[in-house]
Amino acid sequence: MNTVLTTLAAALAVAIPALATAWAQSRIGPAISASMAEKPELSTTAILLVAIPETMVILGFVVAVVILVRGG
Amino acid sequence: MAKVRILGPRERLEDVLRVLQDLSLVHLSAPEAAPLTHAELTAAQERERRHLAAALADVEHALAALEIREEATAVPPAVSRADVGRWARLAWHVRRETERLAARTASIEEERALIMKYQQFFSAFRALLQSEAQWPNATAYHVLLKGGDTATIPQLRASLQATIGQEFQLFSQPLPSGETAVLLVVSAQGAGRVERLLAEARVQEIPVPEAYGGKSLTDAIPRMLTRLGEIPRELQQIRERRRTLARDHGATLRTARAALHDRLVALAALPLTGVTSRAFVLEGWVPARARRTLDTGLSAAFGDEVVVSEVSREEWESEQAPVVLSNPRLFRPFETLVGLMPLPRYGSIDPTPFVAVFFPAFFGMMVGDIGYGVVLAALGLVLHARSRPGTTLRNVSEIIGPCALFSIIAGVLFGEFFGDLGRRWFGMRALLFDRADALIPFLLLAVAIGVVHVLLGLVLGAVSARRHPRQAIGRGVSAAMVVLVILALLAAVDVLPRRFFTPVVIGLLVAFPVLIVLEGLVAPIELLTTLGNILSYARIMALGVASVMMAVVANKMVGAMGSVAVGIVFALLFHLVNFAIAMFTPTIHALRLHYVEFFGKFFSPGGVRYQPFGHWTRVPARPRPAPRNSRQAA
Repeated sequence: MNTVLTTLAAALAVAIPALATAWAQSRIGPAISASMAEKPELSTTAILLVAIPETMVILGFVVAVVILVRGG
Repeated sequence: MAKVRILGPRERLEDVLRVLQDLSLVHLSAPEAAPLTHAELTAAQERERRHLAAALADVEHALAALEIREEATAVPPAVSRADVGRWARLAWHVRRETERLAARTASIEEERALIMKYQQFFSAFRALLQSEAQWPNATAYHVLLKGGDTATIPQLRASLQATIGQEFQLFSQPLPSGETAVLLVVSAQGAGRVERLLAEARVQEIPVPEAYGGKSLTDAIPRMLTRLGEIPRELQQIRERRRTLARDHGATLRTARAALHDRLVALAALPLTGVTSRAFVLEGWVPARARRTLDTGLSAAFGDEVVVSEVSREEWESEQAPVVLSNPRLFRPFETLVGLMPLPRYGSIDPTPFVAVFFPAFFGMMVGDIGYGVVLAALGLVLHARSRPGTTLRNVSEIIGPCALFSIIAGVLFGEFFGDLGRRWFGMRALLFDRADALIPFLLLAVAIGVVHVLLGLVLGAVSARRHPRQAIGRGVSAAMVVLVILALLAAVDVLPRRFFTPVVIGLLVAFPVLIVLEGLVAPIELLTTLGNILSYARIMALGVASVMMAVVANKMVGAMGSVAVGIVFALLFHLVNFAIAMFTPTIHALRLHYVEFFGKFFSPGGVRYQPFGHWTRVPARPRPAPRNSRQAA
């Protein structure tokens, strides 16, 4: 039972930030694409804006690893 | 940079500008001294400028239309008015000719598309169309319905029945293009009503094109098919004509472009000159080491007539000076990555050398595979061979080299060759740790790298703020507090001896008010942001582990598919996908770590690019005398 809960916790630690990241990027992507169509010099900003929400899922992944290593 | 002032007699202004253009050293800026007025173009010069701009537009258009490759082109030493006139006429003729060829190509392609549409129709109703002629008292309508419009057919049939009873026949057949071909044969009496009905239902009929004569599609289609056979030959003739134009006039047009640009640049420089009734004054910026070359060049051409003096440092602000990034050859390609951000201000730190070291290192740690590294190196070599010096593609190929090298080195350290294939085939062992298993050591390594990188950024921030001691000390204290926080954490988890904990915490308590005094109330928030920045380097571990896991999964496909051959194909495809991901994701995240976490600590954007007044080149030329100090944007 403990293993199941640990695994579930690790899965949720990745899944919830992944959904949040996907939602954030789905809003950022079209907005920055529209901006880049008018101002191509915004490409650097585009890279940064798209990469910033990925921090959530990356940190979620790290938390999941810690849960699995410590709890497993 | 040195700011220089060039003075001379007004009648020699154009000659001086010509020599300065040859020297290509001075970034001109308009002088602002009170008794000076800015030189203006005369009416003749303004006419010349408009004429040159129009001719240049024709040349550019002709070169683009003929798809003539960009090449460095030397400007002829002497360009006469006759040359310009000849080029303008040639460009005008070539432009008109290419536009005519383009219009003819578009028209032929359109005609081909139309014939293809009829051909499909003809194939669908070959037998019926041939018998169309046998219905002397009937009118045939040919309709193409789009893919989703099939529901229209039953509606059309019902409407026809309601309108003209049974005096029609309707045939429909789906086409390979997804459309539906419809042939409607109606008695002559009902034709008028049917036409109204089709118009009301917005069903578009394909008319028999008049160009092919005849009212019947059966008559027109053979002519169309003959025409279809002629079209490739006509298109080939157009291509030949375009090639001939490129061969005959390409070199002249390139020379014309360079010369016209050159003259326009010279005319644009005139309004940057300050003049009095008898003298002119030019001001601009020169790399300090190029001062002597400028003096020598002007002195050789004009002797004592023209005087160059240096404007003292007190008379200009740093923000006014243009910036040129100047780095050793090895680091130079990475200026492309720094160039994605606004230029650093004059006198601030040029981050290129740091990007050149850390970017490939981060990339290598995330990819960390000998096999992927070798493939990447091969890709870099191909790009290098197919690109020309000075282009972005060449810079990218030269960035790929170190990235591939670091990927291979990291692959050796982690014992990875296409995931775990090296271990299975060659018995490879990780020299450092296995990324797939040692998650926590990898995480700690990634965060430790983050500590080093962010601390380096803070130290650079303190150095770049050296002219503002309060700010510099504040950044130094921030760096010290980051170190103290990390030491406290290490002592708390027994990595360092416990006895370190208390003195480190005391140090933090002392440093905290000092930081607030120096940096204000936002300092604690910035400190927390800095600690968050360090944790952000965990992405190196996360992406690294994801990469190795994908590669391991790819290898497992060989045994999981039943057939070995199918398994190998799937494994190769999966490796290909992983390789593609491994190219983009680590690049974006390594860039982000630099732009957000690292640059945020010291980078001062807002510099103006150093653009010396010189001859026109498609690929911007690097300034010849490189400043010695590459650590500063100079």
